[in-house]
Amino acid sequence: MDNNRLEMLVEELGASEQERKLWRKLLREAVSGAGGNELRQALREPLCDLLQELGEVNLGAKLKFVIERIPTFPTAELLPLILELCGELRHHSEQTVCELEHMLSELGAPIIRVWTDVLLVPLIGGFDSDRAQALVERLLERASTTRAKVVVVDVTGVSTIDTAVGGFLIEMFSAVKLLGAEVILTGIKPEIAHTLVKLGIDFRMVAIARDLEDALRQAIALLEEERKQRRQIAWAQGSNFSGEGEEHHDT
Amino acid sequence: MEGKVRELLDIPANDFDVVVRIAREEDIAVARQMAKQLAQELGFSLADVTKVATAVSELARNIYRYAQTGKIMIRKRLEENGGPTIEVVAVDHGPGIEDVDLVLTKGYTTYERSLGIGLSGIRRLMDSFEIASEVGTGTVVRVEKRRRRF
Amino acid sequence: MTHKERVVPTIRVGDCLLVPIQIDLDDKTVEQLQAQLLAEIQEQRVRAVILDVRMVEVIDSYISYTLSETAAMARLMGCRTVICGIRPPVALTLAQMGIELQGFLVARDLEHALTLV
Repeated sequence: MDNNRLEMLVEELGASEQERKLWRKLLREAVSGAGGNELRQALREPLCDLLQELGEVNLGAKLKFVIERIPTFPTAELLPLILELCGELRHHSEQTVCELEHMLSELGAPIIRVWTDVLLVPLIGGFDSDRAQALVERLLERASTTRAKVVVVDVTGVSTIDTAVGGFLIEMFSAVKLLGAEVILTGIKPEIAHTLVKLGIDFRMVAIARDLEDALRQAIALLEEERKQRRQIAWAQGSNFSGEGEEHHDT
Repeated sequence: MEGKVRELLDIPANDFDVVVRIAREEDIAVARQMAKQLAQELGFSLADVTKVATAVSELARNIYRYAQTGKIMIRKRLEENGGPTIEVVAVDHGPGIEDVDLVLTKGYTTYERSLGIGLSGIRRLMDSFEIASEVGTGTVVRVEKRRRRF
Repeated sequence: MTHKERVVPTIRVGDCLLVPIQIDLDDKTVEQLQAQLLAEIQEQRVRAVILDVRMVEVIDSYISYTLSETAAMARLMGCRTVICGIRPPVALTLAQMGIELQGFLVARDLEHALTLV
């Protein structure tokens, strides 16, 4: 096949200069006489670019046209290559979706440090089990590394709490408490309070606050209490130490 | 039911990545360690690795306590619809369980020094849980956990 | 108590017994630990035992049960027990199994534990 005919075909195929360039590259490689692996390697790049440029349907139609015009076109080599490329593209887009979901799950539940040693977790929207697990793992890791003393969970943005979500919340609260932090729950709307009691979920293991302000006040009170205890211990230890040195006392 | 027990008891061991024979108390820790390693290799989150290791620990202890000997078989499955999955099968030819539903209720135990959370706890930790048991033949528990999407 | 029976080293701080568990617990060691702690509570006449489980990677139902049992026994001997440093994955696993560490006060770290006893 001579250059002229190839060029004519390229003109027919390509709608834009960019596309014509890609077709030229592909056709030159296809009729170069190479075979096997070498050919597949050479075809791979232009084909991939064309696939992204045109999409599967358009590329299919144009390839059909090419195959009709060039009897020596290596169709057999091309077919598995195209399937492989489509698979790769699909895998790639799946990965993108996965990354987006990941981003969404982080956006859906930020963990905010609202006060010294106090974390706030505003829960928003619904929960599928993967998202819920990812959230609780993130929260526990964060609470553990920051040595948070209080975790405030605000469910104002949660539309419904069924047994599954209720069970998940109980798990989350118990786990946070096992880290040695206190949990304050807030933002329960009347209809949610109603269903919770009907379901027999009472969240007895956590403190409940009327609103975020009340929650923060309770959190600060808890911090104060611990500080006071710590001061008492420091004081007791101080007097202990002087007691221990009794024999050496001057007075 | 009886057919299912026999069928599950005969799962060929050489299809699995790891087979741990449970006969001594120390084997519980070995099984736990192997499960942890395989879950790590599959890229499970630290929490999920711990869950799998804990579930295997419970399964191995059940074998040791109730049947004295048995085996824990673990395999990684990569080509799954739901993503990479770890599968654990615990097999023993012990006395078997008379009422499977009863032992699955939280708090039930026939062994006085255990919390009785064993089987129901395993079920909560894993994504799928299957048990077949026949008095006089043995017990098989098959559990799976898949890698989370995020 | 002989050295052979001691599975973990303990440190006395004031009238508390500090128990940093640096080994992975299994059935046998957790039973030995129970015996060791009860003996030491009696010998050293401490007011509280603080278990630090930062290094423990797996706590299953039997281990948690034996630890809770130890806490109940210690209570009968007039001694409080605090557990601290539970790893996040362990906390989540225990919570998901529905296991409560009965008889324990739970602390974030040693400093917090000392304020509880």
